[in-house]
Amino acid sequence: MKIIRFIVLAMAIFWMHGCAKHTEKITPRKADKRVNINHSTIDISATANDSFEEEFAQEEMMATSDNFDPLEGYNRIMTKFNDKLYLNILDPLAKNYAYIVPEGVRVSLKRGFKNIQSPVSIANNLLQLKFKNAFDESHRFVVNTLFGLGGLFDPARSHLGLEPCEEDFGQTLGHYQVGDGIQIVLPFLGPSNLRDFVGEIVDGYVDPFNNLKVTNTNYKIANTTTETFLYQGGDIFNKASLHIGEYQMIKKDAIDLYPYLQDIYSQHRNQQIKE
Amino acid sequence: MKKILTTIGILIAMSAESMALKQEEIESGMRSKLETVLRILSKNGSTTVKGREIIATMDSLFDYTLMARLVLGQQVWGTITPTQKDEFTKVFVLKLKQSYVDKLELYNNQKVAYKGVAPYQKGRMQLKTELVGKGDVYKINYNFHDSDKNGDWLIYDVDLDGVSIIQSNRKQFAGQLKTKTFDQMLIELKAVNK
Repeated sequence: MKIIRFIVLAMAIFWMHGCAKHTEKITPRKADKRVNINHSTIDISATANDSFEEEFAQEEMMATSDNFDPLEGYNRIMTKFNDKLYLNILDPLAKNYAYIVPEGVRVSLKRGFKNIQSPVSIANNLLQLKFKNAFDESHRFVVNTLFGLGGLFDPARSHLGLEPCEEDFGQTLGHYQVGDGIQIVLPFLGPSNLRDFVGEIVDGYVDPFNNLKVTNTNYKIANTTTETFLYQGGDIFNKASLHIGEYQMIKKDAIDLYPYLQDIYSQHRNQQIKE
Repeated sequence: MKKILTTIGILIAMSAESMALKQEEIESGMRSKLETVLRILSKNGSTTVKGREIIATMDSLFDYTLMARLVLGQQVWGTITPTQKDEFTKVFVLKLKQSYVDKLELYNNQKVAYKGVAPYQKGRMQLKTELVGKGDVYKINYNFHDSDKNGDWLIYDVDLDGVSIIQSNRKQFAGQLKTKTFDQMLIELKAVNK
């Protein structure tokens, strides 16, 4: 019950914040238009620039609110913690693991994890009323489980041309116009926001690898909290071995790491929600 | 001698300009350029040399001046001097190219799939591509604009899985300028590039 109360409270907070953010960001655009009307002569290059400015202003509106970041102090510390943890522990371990285990095996393991988590995608496609995608995901789940060794292979894609249609509850909330909410950097997992954090908790109810003993469901693969952390940790670790060097490249482009990571996370999520 | 040099200069400038793509050539032109890039990537040799060759292949397709202006935003661009604009453009383009070369190290025999050109934003065009690897598919979109309003199309932004180069740099520079002067930011950028 505690967790339900937390979710309701959290949803209320970020609904309010989403509304506040919307009002706050619309205002400058209205002001811009007013300035343009007052100028009687507008040269072509300025107009062209305006249209580019408009394109990026629109995207900025969709991206995370940069004016309201009450957890900035904590977020910066957690970004540093995750950075050190990744560079000093996860990355060297993942490199060794990648050296020992062939890439094909690691790709198959990743597919297997994803296949077992299909109920999350199916449920969220249904919640977004994307019935064809929900059907395709269910079709993929059945075909890959039966003919792809429990999902280690992807005959649904290679033989039937069925592309994955992944959705999570954070995307479902975004689909229904729920804003990002405040920015939160999660330990071990990295950049997130209140909407996606709540999304993770809700998806946990359906995810067979997530069993924090809050419901009495008996289809879960993880039986205890420890097993949940082992499965989820294993999935993250295996995925990390397939993306070696990428974090370092992203980090090189950052002038200030925390806002940079948060911004690219937010842009990426907005794209996923749009799709 | 001066005349010859001027003629050569004009010819180089003209040839550089003629490298822009016509609207109907966006997909075919990019296919041919990206095939060259993949050929260079599959060769043996140092990343630095390959990076130089790749940049020489792609250089003429980018509208670097516009990109520099966009990442600073109209407001800032309008308040800095022509010298600052020139310096910033040089430093930013160098940063952009360096970042591109760095990422080449991650190339692992992925294939490029072309998903067509479609109108994008006001009068602009977007070429959608996918970089298909063993485990993942990365969506890479190239945004083009008619650079001289005469049918010469150049790239002004690239987005990778929804993350726009312009947008993310724009946000970074805006963040920096909240606490620093333009010149301080320029000095720091130069130091990062070294």
